[in-house]
Amino acid sequence: MENEFFKNRLNITRRHFFGQAAAGIGGLALGSLLVPELFKGDASAQSLPLGVAHFAPKAKRVIYLCQNGAPSQYESFDYKPMLNKMAGQDLPDSIRGTQRLTGMTASQDKFPLVGSYYNFKQHGKSGTYISEIFPHIGSIADDICVIRTMSTDAINHDPALTFLQTGAQVGNRPSMGAWMSYGLGSENKNLPAFCVLLSRGRGNGQGVYSKLWTNGFLDSTHQGVVFSSSEDPILYLNDSDGIDKAGRRRMLDQLAELNHEGFAENKDPEVEAKVQQYEMAYRMQTAVPELTDLSKEPDHIIKMYGPECLVPGTYAANVLLARKLSESGVRFVQIYHQGWDSHGNLPQEMAMQAQDVDRSSAALITDLKQRGLLDETLVIWGGEFGRTNYCQGKYTVDNYGRDHHPRAYSIFMAGGGVKAGTVYGETDELGYNVVKDPVHIHDFHATVQHLMGINHEQLTYKHLGRRYRLTDIAGNVLPGLIA
Amino acid sequence: MKKLFIFLGLCIAGMTAIYVSNKQQKVDYSTQVKPILNKNCISCHGGVKKQGGFSLLFQEEALGKTKSGKPAIIPGHPEQSSFIQRLHSQDPEEKMPYQRPALSEEEIDLLTTWVKEGANWGEHWAYQPLEAPSIPAGSWFEKALAFVGIPASWAQNDLDYFVQAEQKNQGLTHTDQAEKADLLRRLYLDITGLPPTAADYLAYEQDDSDDAYEKQVDKLLKSPHYGEKWAAMWMDLARYADTKGYEKDEARSIWKYRDYVIASFNQNKPYDQFIKEQLAGDLLPNPKESDYIATAFHRNTTNNDEGGTVDEEFRTAAILDRVNTTWEVLQGTSFGCVQCHSHPYDPIRHEEYYKYMAFFNNSRDEDIPDDAPTYRHHAPANEKTIAQLKSFLSNQPLATQKAWGQMIRFVEPKIHPHWADQFENGALADNKYLAIRNKGSARFMAVPMMGKTKLLIACRNSGPAPTYLNIHQGTKTGPIIARIKLDTTLQEKYAKPKGLFVKGWAYLFVDIPSLPGKQDLVWEFLNAKTKPEQTTATIGFWAVLPEVPGQLKSTAFEKLALQAIATEPEITTPVMLENPADYTRTTRVFTRGSWLNQADAVQPGIPALFKNTPVTNRLDLANWIGSTNNPLTARVAVNRFWEQLFGIGIVETLEDLGSQGLAPVNQALLDHLAYKFQVDFKYQPKAFLKYVVMSASYQQSSLVDESTREKDPNNRYITRGPRVRLSPEQLRDQILVWSGLLSRKLGGPSVMPEQPDGVWNAPYSGMQWKKSDGEDQWRRSLYTYWRRSSPYPTMVTFDAGTRDICLSRRIRTNTPMQALNTLNDPVFLEASQFFARKYALNGLEFIQKGYLDLLGRDISSSKAEKLNAFYAQTLAYYQAHPKETLAFLKLCSDNEKPGDAANLVAKTLVANALFNIDESMNKP
Repeated sequence: MENEFFKNRLNITRRHFFGQAAAGIGGLALGSLLVPELFKGDASAQSLPLGVAHFAPKAKRVIYLCQNGAPSQYESFDYKPMLNKMAGQDLPDSIRGTQRLTGMTASQDKFPLVGSYYNFKQHGKSGTYISEIFPHIGSIADDICVIRTMSTDAINHDPALTFLQTGAQVGNRPSMGAWMSYGLGSENKNLPAFCVLLSRGRGNGQGVYSKLWTNGFLDSTHQGVVFSSSEDPILYLNDSDGIDKAGRRRMLDQLAELNHEGFAENKDPEVEAKVQQYEMAYRMQTAVPELTDLSKEPDHIIKMYGPECLVPGTYAANVLLARKLSESGVRFVQIYHQGWDSHGNLPQEMAMQAQDVDRSSAALITDLKQRGLLDETLVIWGGEFGRTNYCQGKYTVDNYGRDHHPRAYSIFMAGGGVKAGTVYGETDELGYNVVKDPVHIHDFHATVQHLMGINHEQLTYKHLGRRYRLTDIAGNVLPGLIA
Repeated sequence: MKKLFIFLGLCIAGMTAIYVSNKQQKVDYSTQVKPILNKNCISCHGGVKKQGGFSLLFQEEALGKTKSGKPAIIPGHPEQSSFIQRLHSQDPEEKMPYQRPALSEEEIDLLTTWVKEGANWGEHWAYQPLEAPSIPAGSWFEKALAFVGIPASWAQNDLDYFVQAEQKNQGLTHTDQAEKADLLRRLYLDITGLPPTAADYLAYEQDDSDDAYEKQVDKLLKSPHYGEKWAAMWMDLARYADTKGYEKDEARSIWKYRDYVIASFNQNKPYDQFIKEQLAGDLLPNPKESDYIATAFHRNTTNNDEGGTVDEEFRTAAILDRVNTTWEVLQGTSFGCVQCHSHPYDPIRHEEYYKYMAFFNNSRDEDIPDDAPTYRHHAPANEKTIAQLKSFLSNQPLATQKAWGQMIRFVEPKIHPHWADQFENGALADNKYLAIRNKGSARFMAVPMMGKTKLLIACRNSGPAPTYLNIHQGTKTGPIIARIKLDTTLQEKYAKPKGLFVKGWAYLFVDIPSLPGKQDLVWEFLNAKTKPEQTTATIGFWAVLPEVPGQLKSTAFEKLALQAIATEPEITTPVMLENPADYTRTTRVFTRGSWLNQADAVQPGIPALFKNTPVTNRLDLANWIGSTNNPLTARVAVNRFWEQLFGIGIVETLEDLGSQGLAPVNQALLDHLAYKFQVDFKYQPKAFLKYVVMSASYQQSSLVDESTREKDPNNRYITRGPRVRLSPEQLRDQILVWSGLLSRKLGGPSVMPEQPDGVWNAPYSGMQWKKSDGEDQWRRSLYTYWRRSSPYPTMVTFDAGTRDICLSRRIRTNTPMQALNTLNDPVFLEASQFFARKYALNGLEFIQKGYLDLLGRDISSSKAEKLNAFYAQTLAYYQAHPKETLAFLKLCSDNEKPGDAANLVAKTLVANALFNIDESMNKP
């Protein structure tokens, strides 16, 4: 009975539990469950017996540059000259089929097709078409894999973003990063395994919410820790004004001694575990500010990411910080950049958004490559769905908007075992439907987990009588994406 | 002599019982067979897959013909049953489990014996009727000894015998009673969620009477803080939050529900009634205001206002959540599985999910941004209007009373613009409003018009007034049943005889002819003065009502009614309101759980697993859940109560007592408690809690010897008192008590204590975290504003969820973020300072007195010395660093200049250390 209890607490399968010694990847976790056995006779009590890859991973870490609000594929990665030719004509019913529309355009009388305001050109040896508003990403075309055939089940931001991050549209399932933390632990015991960085662009925005980085039914050691650009990069990280390092040390030493004495009385192993967490907090107080201080970055790095990276809270600053966190062993860095929701005024908004993210997104990949880290770091860039090939609202030659489109959209990935310099999947001439190699969100999750050495069908957590996984009951690993 | 005789008699009876229980037992399906089937067979032969036409989930299926044409199990004949034979097979195509390791010999023997004995089906323990288990053997013996005057027993009441029996089975024993101070602290935290004050410790210490402890129990159960503590538990289950959840995550006014829960616990409301009010308060005869507020339980579902969403999609999501929450919270059964397919492990069929959903599918709410329907709480003057209207109605036919009664209180049933389709030259604006241009139209399909002669419209003009609205019957070319002038510009003039103008909306009544049945109505808008791209008038909602009875026509009824409808209420609370019969929705099975893929219609009903009288509506359902016919309700409830007290449930998976949950560690104890709660205590929580805290089991010390800890590391066998880390609510409330800052005000709108800037930056909406004034910043954590997209940091850091959905169990963790929280959160520092200021004492004396006041016992001399050394070092540092001293003190809200600033800082940091030591953060 105890054994059953224990296994349930860890909620891992027997094989998973005993297999970890063989797998040999020691996962660390920032924090632990309050489960007494875990602390018995083990001085390095922070490590949970998780941190198990199912097979040799291609990537060890993920940096997810989520462009939320949904950037248009037609002005970025899915080149559709036919749309320019047919501009103003109605979207044929034969193309639209049974696709449902959002309430924002459902009552439009006409669905006039609209082509990209921006030009495209081919880049690199791969000849990947990329829009002119993303010149830096264009310059690294041979390092990335553009997926043009992403598709999702949701048509509104909140459910779609929640689906993208947790594999379910509603409710409170664990986020991708939480699953990675649960499955693989952290590589750095002074930092959370799953960090979240937020920024806001100049375009029409969409919010983010804690359910996107939630631990869901997993325990809260796996929840995403939000970094902020304020003085406290992590909530309550700094000691209050008037307390110096030595003073804090004195206090922690006293606390530890008092708690050791308490332990001598009550023999409750949780007491010792608690002391360890206070020590870890202390180490974080040093480790985190060192990381978040970007002022000491060398000039060539600043140049690469652009001067904006010195302005705290910008996308560029967050991308640079993401690299540093990742380099320090953070398993999953999740960035959200808002402002892509161009229902109107798209040409202008999209250009501003692109300007804000293009240089630093490309810099991240180049930077990782130069550091020899790109092979083991998976970078993902993209939003929660795409946009319609027809105009929302009034169409004029230099002003239009696009509504939400879940059936086909573009993202790109780089590093971490992804097939570089490729374009995956094909949409029809009007970009509305997938004609070859669809990538459903579940497939995307399965493939990302695969790259991380996880069998998406095996990383499960039993809750409410069911073994849950990120991919729900679907998802296929797509070999075409893997190098 | 007589006593001795009885004693001997009991001895003989006891021995007989032991003898009888030793005789050979048959194989038990639930405890012996089902676990093997669940583990090895059911994923291919269960509720999801039925390989070879064979399923083991239901008896009739398991014994029925398979694809091969004959049954796989032939009761009494294992040798003829392929179910058994294939377990032995060597042929990889024949062998079962297919392509998996064979069962062990013992397992095969067991299944063989089971088939031989007739393959009798049994029910999972939790679905079996609840019966009072007999008090375990041994206890009668002790009772008998006690009866003849020999004090033999550790037990204080019957539950202890159950605990003791299981301890005996495990070779374990109990621990001595806890020290008085520890016991008092435990009791306070468990009953009221607040720690005792110094005076409380002293009073208890000095009370030498035999019933000193019981007096404390009774006192605490009478405290209004009792309701707050237990409401805190219920908030996670009700997924209570002050916002709507999705995307912008805007505010929702539902705190009156929270106060209803507090009041219910404080009133010692029987649990069955508590359930009934929350699930179906609106369907009770003559519901009171509080009955409606109770139904907000299921209005805590999230509501999606995002632009472009289809309301029906998220209305449906809310209904599904209500079904799943009802099962998880009240029935401890995972029902979500059945949404997509028959239950893979428990005997519940796919369509039974939707039969159950049908109970909930006819509430009036439709994912409307303003959370309609709401109970509209008016200012007293306006309540008078409502009372007056009610008295007008009192001698009218019931149907009239009901229809008009709902209209004046709730302004329901509303017809929302999202009902419309076939837009011509117009659209659903902002997802909410009907916005049609000149000569444009929209259709409302199948509006119940039978007996409706009054039309209510909420509208406002977008362009120049007036706009004319023609309502056509059937199609746009059909007969016009009403021509309406929507002149909303003449606000003042308009207000009096014809309509009212509130917050930009004009409300007007229009007479319409009675039409049979349900009608399609096409609304055509005409306003030649508007520009082609301009909306004519905007419609917020409309409604159709039965005739105002003749004798009321001459009164001011209509005018007053319009006033009640148009008056902005002071407070609104979302509630459940059942659809009138002519608005009833048909519930259909969702194929594979998708609302976009609907199949056959179903009628309301409970799963056949529960063989009961017909249950046909939401009120029946609520009654059934609370009835003694329901085997789950009491077990689930007492398991939750037990977990609150002991830190872990008797069934650890509070959310799942089904066959996939963990087995109860002591089922007899659970059943005993459930039976006591349901029958003996008539579902009264206070009586039940008293019973548990009066037990010897509860009163044990949490100190335990090494070998017991080794054998019972998680205290599953209650070998000691529960030593459990406090909840985030308790952690914050405790320091507020200790510092003297706590406001003991009960109820009211949620408050915003100190929270760092920027925490609310993530969601994009105009909502601001505005620190509450005065005592409201120091209210109990239960009252802290809960925003789902960004909950209060201490709550999420200490393992509470986001409350998007219900949470049965917080999994306690231990993280550095928690340490940073209790060390550096200004709330904790402020409390530390206020605590330090309460004492004129310094140094060692401060430490000794402070510790005594916090924990009710003396600090050990070595701990005191250590802290004093810390105090001295800290004092010396701040004496030498006046700048740092001031910097530190600036943090606190009170700017009073202390006489000796360095000393205050040193004491504050000592207090902060005291708040952070392990004995402060745990239940003793």
